[in-house]
Amino acid sequence: MATDKAHPNYVAIWVWLLALMGIGLAASAIPGARVIAVTVIFATATAKALLVALNFMHLRFEPRLIYAIALVPVLFALVLAVTLVPDFVFRR
Amino acid sequence: MSSSVQAPAIPGIPAGKVGVWWFLASEIMLFGGLIASFIVFRLGSAGWSGEAAHLSLTIGAINTLVLLTSSMTVVQAFAAAERGHASTLQLFLGLTILGGLVFLGFKAVEYTTEIRAGFTPASGIFWSFYYTMTGLHALHVLAGVVVNAIMFAGARIRNPRRVELAGLYWHFVDIVWIFLFPLLYLS
Repeated sequence: MATDKAHPNYVAIWVWLLALMGIGLAASAIPGARVIAVTVIFATATAKALLVALNFMHLRFEPRLIYAIALVPVLFALVLAVTLVPDFVFRR
Repeated sequence: MSSSVQAPAIPGIPAGKVGVWWFLASEIMLFGGLIASFIVFRLGSAGWSGEAAHLSLTIGAINTLVLLTSSMTVVQAFAAAERGHASTLQLFLGLTILGGLVFLGFKAVEYTTEIRAGFTPASGIFWSFYYTMTGLHALHVLAGVVVNAIMFAGARIRNPRRVELAGLYWHFVDIVWIFLFPLLYLS
């Protein structure tokens, strides 16, 4: 349980979050190469979310059950997105 | 009676924490469904980048900075609560509340500017999604501010568990914005 564990260096993680935010903003400003820019933007967003979840929410100190509670709805949301893809693929 | 109420729902995990994570799971489904629908519409429709260009990237970036920082301050509040430092706890909770209010203030400025420019929820599918997702998120920020204010008022009680659970919700609100910002403003 998180309460009994040592606290990560929260300020260092915050600095990483700001750096990733800067990278995402810089990628959005690059003219052309839209696919690369969007990939970088969402890769940095995912990295930021993981940093917050693992360190600020102490998920890395939690038992597997908490991981399961957190990840199952994420998977459901991904499944929802994937199953809706044929809608716009076949509409074109 | 009281012993059965306070017993962990699952061995090793406090019942309150399991409850908050279950609540967050339902919230993930709520925002996940919205975001999934947005992505599908975004990929299937042309011209959304043009609509997104009307948003204020500066305000969006400042609000991202504010929420990331407030996530750091709320977890520092939890660390202070664990150490039993009530004044430090109040300081960091106060900074977190301030961050939430600054976020809502900028969001209000942004909404006002956009509506005055003629971009309302009825202006098209992009704007419908924009106001629904950011409005729902703003309501969550407001709820987080209220919860943190309650923690602030009860800081002398020195219950780190309550601060941790309130912080979990605040971090979730931060994570939602981490994805809303690039979806709406950057892509």
